[in-house]
Amino acid sequence: MNRREEHQDLLRDLAPQILGALVRRFGHFDTAEDAVQEALLAASQQWAERPENPRGWLITVASRRMTDLLRSEQARRRREDEAARWTLPLEGTPPAEPADDTLVLLFLCCHPSLSPASQIALTLRAVGGLTTAEIARAFLLPEAAMTRRITRAKQSIKDSGAAFRMPPNPRERLAAVLHVLYLIFSEGYASQRGDLAAEAIRLTRILHRLMPGDEDSEVAGLLALMLLTDARRDARTGADGELVPLAEQDRSRWNTAYVEEGVALITDALPRGSTGPYQLQAAIAALHDEARSAEDTDWPQIRALYEMLLRISDNPMVVLNHAVAVAMTDGPRDGLALIARLDGDPRLAEDHRLFTVRAHLLEMSGDTEAARSAYAEAAARARHLQQQRYLHRRAARLG
Amino acid sequence: MKYMMLTYGTQLDYDGMSGKAGEDSPWTPELFGALAGFMEKFNRDLEESGELVETRGLLAPVHTRRLRLESGVPVVTDGPYAETEEVLAGYWIIECDGFDRATEIAGRLSNCPGPDGVRDTYYVDVRPIADGRADLGL
Repeated sequence: MNRREEHQDLLRDLAPQILGALVRRFGHFDTAEDAVQEALLAASQQWAERPENPRGWLITVASRRMTDLLRSEQARRRREDEAARWTLPLEGTPPAEPADDTLVLLFLCCHPSLSPASQIALTLRAVGGLTTAEIARAFLLPEAAMTRRITRAKQSIKDSGAAFRMPPNPRERLAAVLHVLYLIFSEGYASQRGDLAAEAIRLTRILHRLMPGDEDSEVAGLLALMLLTDARRDARTGADGELVPLAEQDRSRWNTAYVEEGVALITDALPRGSTGPYQLQAAIAALHDEARSAEDTDWPQIRALYEMLLRISDNPMVVLNHAVAVAMTDGPRDGLALIARLDGDPRLAEDHRLFTVRAHLLEMSGDTEAARSAYAEAAARARHLQQQRYLHRRAARLG
Repeated sequence: MKYMMLTYGTQLDYDGMSGKAGEDSPWTPELFGALAGFMEKFNRDLEESGELVETRGLLAPVHTRRLRLESGVPVVTDGPYAETEEVLAGYWIIECDGFDRATEIAGRLSNCPGPDGVRDTYYVDVRPIADGRADLGL
């Protein structure tokens, strides 16, 4: 790692701590967030050598910048004769339990007043320390659009009056935080932008380290799921960048460190508390990762886990994956019968995956012609180029 | 006997001292350095004479929240001051043998370096600190 990368890593780690320190001291989450971004930028441009106290350096620079930003904001307000004011509740509140600032920020960025898209963008900026340009690039959006999204998100948090403290019901709000991290990971994984997946893993690791009372071990479950999925990243693409399905992957290229860590996490998590959806998915991923070859895969066990998932989730993707497991244990016809129930489900109408699975099962059953047209339908709906190329290739292979 | 010495400043003074006011600000780096040196010595002398209880400077007025009641409900206003409004900028709490001694101490502050325009209007208030409720006539 060169010095510049070391600096970037350090800055990204410090970003939420600096923001937390500023918001605790001065309030104004939205302005503080801008000030921290500018301080991070100044650091990455000015640090030839790391200063003796990087945290202190950043807090000083960000605080000064914040005073400037507040000055111009308040001058503008005075011109427009619009004072920033809000009312306080009449009854007092006790001091909040001490909590890590990064954790508080994570919950604040996943505030229920925000859409998931805004939660993701704000989390990546305020907790992840990514610039708006980097986030825009990761989501293939123009920077101006991402700037608007983040500005709106910060305004919503301001309007909600949320204080900088842990929510009174962190366990209920945890689901939203996990969902955001999961979406960041999925986006990175589906689009093969490893940096986004790596960022999701980094943030989930932080959450796993900090989250008190993860009685149900869903944080551990999500982290395990990410590691066990990301372990296959290198094997997932062939020499020409084409997608390689799980059954055809060169398993020697899987990341064994990630597999071991993921398996250890999920093995430890499963017996504790109730078993949530991330743990079940991680357990399934572990069964895939531990199979020495595609033929060795423990499909009956995977099928049983999907049946448990079906009981707690009505996600159509679970129905789809369960159908695959049924096809692998009982034959493709049984799988196809299960996915027929998803026809016309509006949640999957624009999604390639129903058609992709149907195409695979039709191919397994020997119905070449129907498989080919299903691959074509799937390709028409696939969002990412690599997926489209994979689906067209499968169709072409059927002659 | 305890006294409080209070000094005042405007947001513009803060801008000047922080170097933000730009090139034509009367607060040159030399002058600001001289001010910092003066204050350090002033506080050290008070400490050595055993008369200093505490001294603090306040951050820029822009970081202010003002609370007042509106129809019985507490309402917060952000940074309520105009640029040129004088507000508390810092204070000393000193313990000495009387008002005259406290006034003498405050008088030393008149030697504090600063631009002429600022020195001409500079003032310090000295106020006795109440010893308890009885002192306040309560």
